[in-house]
Amino acid sequence: MAASLTRLLERSLRTTHAPQSSVRLFSNGSQKQQQQQPEVEDEEEFRVLNLRPVKQQFQRRRDIRRDDVTPPRTTRMAVDQDWTAAWPGPRSFHPASVPLPLRQGFTERGAAAPSKFANAELMKIPNFLHLTPPAIRQQCEAIKKFCTPWPKGLETEAKWKPHFPVEVITTDYCQSLPTVRNPEARRVTVSLKLSDLKFDNHARDKFLRLVGERYNKETDVLTFVTDRCPLRKQNYDYALYLLTACYHESFVTEPWEATKSEADMELYLFERNQAKRSAEAILNWNAAEGAPKKAASASYAQCVEQLINEGENEYNLAKYKEEVMKMLNVAAQ
Amino acid sequence: MKMFRKHFGNLSRVSTQLQRNVLQLSTNAEASPVEGTAAASVNEFRTAVANPGEHSALHVAKFYTIPVEQKKQIFTGGGLPKQYEQQIKTFTESCLMVRSPALELLHYIKNADLTKPVVRYVLYGDNGVGKTLTMAHVLHYGAINDFLLVHVPWAPNWMKRPKEASNATQEGMLDLPFDAAAWLVHFKTQNAKLLQQLQLKTSKEYVWSKRESTPAGSTLIELVEHGISRIKYATETTVALISELKQLSTAGQCKVMVAIDGFNAFFHPETRIFSDNKQRVTPDRITLTQPFLDITSYDWTNGVCILSVDKLAMTEGYMDSYMPRYLLGTAGFEHIDPFVPVHVDNYTDKEFHSYINYYLDRHWINKTPKGFEEQLKFMSNKNPYTLMQLVKSL
Repeated sequence: MAASLTRLLERSLRTTHAPQSSVRLFSNGSQKQQQQQPEVEDEEEFRVLNLRPVKQQFQRRRDIRRDDVTPPRTTRMAVDQDWTAAWPGPRSFHPASVPLPLRQGFTERGAAAPSKFANAELMKIPNFLHLTPPAIRQQCEAIKKFCTPWPKGLETEAKWKPHFPVEVITTDYCQSLPTVRNPEARRVTVSLKLSDLKFDNHARDKFLRLVGERYNKETDVLTFVTDRCPLRKQNYDYALYLLTACYHESFVTEPWEATKSEADMELYLFERNQAKRSAEAILNWNAAEGAPKKAASASYAQCVEQLINEGENEYNLAKYKEEVMKMLNVAAQ
Repeated sequence: MKMFRKHFGNLSRVSTQLQRNVLQLSTNAEASPVEGTAAASVNEFRTAVANPGEHSALHVAKFYTIPVEQKKQIFTGGGLPKQYEQQIKTFTESCLMVRSPALELLHYIKNADLTKPVVRYVLYGDNGVGKTLTMAHVLHYGAINDFLLVHVPWAPNWMKRPKEASNATQEGMLDLPFDAAAWLVHFKTQNAKLLQQLQLKTSKEYVWSKRESTPAGSTLIELVEHGISRIKYATETTVALISELKQLSTAGQCKVMVAIDGFNAFFHPETRIFSDNKQRVTPDRITLTQPFLDITSYDWTNGVCILSVDKLAMTEGYMDSYMPRYLLGTAGFEHIDPFVPVHVDNYTDKEFHSYINYYLDRHWINKTPKGFEEQLKFMSNKNPYTLMQLVKSL
């Protein structure tokens, strides 16, 4: 019952609404006219007072004209072109000049490495495109006319080394500065093998003490580096002077050198040590007065020296044992 | 608690072992002596030759037993490693293996010309290879063959853990009175019988204080006993005793065997003893060092010197190598040069096998899975001490 009642009511309501909507239609038209009126009024109300009328300048942004990207030079390169002319000197990588399908760089898995265009990876690494074998050959040909033939009889290093024991190393510098001088160019390195110099035991020891760390024990090479004079020539002379002075000085025996104690010895010498004294004391035990003194054998002396100078190892110690047993008459098993 | 139980287990095992031995002994006693030797030779790792003088290459890697009394006489005051002592106690027999370094030393000693200055033999080798036991073997020989033993069981004890240090009469020197007295006791127990026999007399009068002195012509036993009873003068007594021994042996009245274990301790750069001004002293400022350096020099005859150099005698920073010259240092090397180095090495295969057999015989190794011997050999690298440690738990 209630439902049918509401439906009735709804219907009656709709019928009452209808005349209202028609009224609204009419009023809509009147509203349009009203809206047009205020626009006219606006123009009149907000006039701009231009006291100093300025010409409106329409500054259009200038278009930057870019040339079209020219196709890479490689497309125009002949297959048999002279590469040394295309790439004459050291230069960082340029994709348009190198007719190679190079790729370099990291990408996602499975994707191809980035191509050579706009590829920073290829520009970062040094290249040797200016040092191709033909380029080197060409440059060698060019400087050949300045060369003299290699002297006969000095073909191998073994052959020329004895004639030129002293090695002198200097460095020339090329630079684009107003001056052609480079302070580093004054440095002179003179090196030679110590075995090329003749010494006696004392002189050799003294020489090594004089030159100090300029001597490399492993390679037996003596090296003087001089840079205290302003010119290369002076430094070279000074290095040779040092060598000569040290060499001759090492043959001079000063009076204070006699006071060299055991702690100053660079080597253990049997002759000046307790080992010799005890060995002789044992050998001459209970010897008659005036009897000739027995000395320790040379082989014993040698093995003691070896044990101490070379350091201990099973071999040296076994040798020492053998010699001691021989000297003390200990019956071996 | 668990440990206790373990020990207890060991003890019970030992006690059964003991019983078994007693049984064996009783049967042996009943049987004829021929049978007894046969029973001994059944164990191929044992030898019945108990006199080290008769040991030869035949007996290498075999065990011989030191009679209880002799063991008591020689090793009461030390001379066997502590762990080995325990093992002896556990096995109820003091067995030593005949090894080649000891045989080598015995050979040298037997053939030595005693009229010549003493020859210094230096035992060297890595940790735990048996330097001390080699020395013990030789000491046994010395004790049997009428050598007076001047034996220092472990010299570093004096430098590392002395009982007490006091200022000596000499300026700047330190005495170790208790250690010196202990050593005198050790000397006395080792040599009491021989000293009684030889009746060695002192050559001069020793005046200890205003009222005390040992007159010239008194026996060495009196000298030693004075040192033991008047501990204050123990160090001086040691000095006196050793110089007397040197004189007497040079005069031909006795033979002396010097055996010092850990000899390099006398040349260690420092000791753990502090002087009055709280600074560590060097070993040469310990008065006890002097006599033993004195007796290891070559200026006397009729004796032998067996010294051992040991890494363990040094302290940290000085233990890089076991070679004698490194351990002795320059001064030590010069002191005992020329010496005969004797290398003590790890077990050979034969010795290792023999030792395993011995452990099996003593029921010390109970678990014998297949290949256990190979495994032990691999794990211990045939090092005697490591092997002893490894089989503890088996």
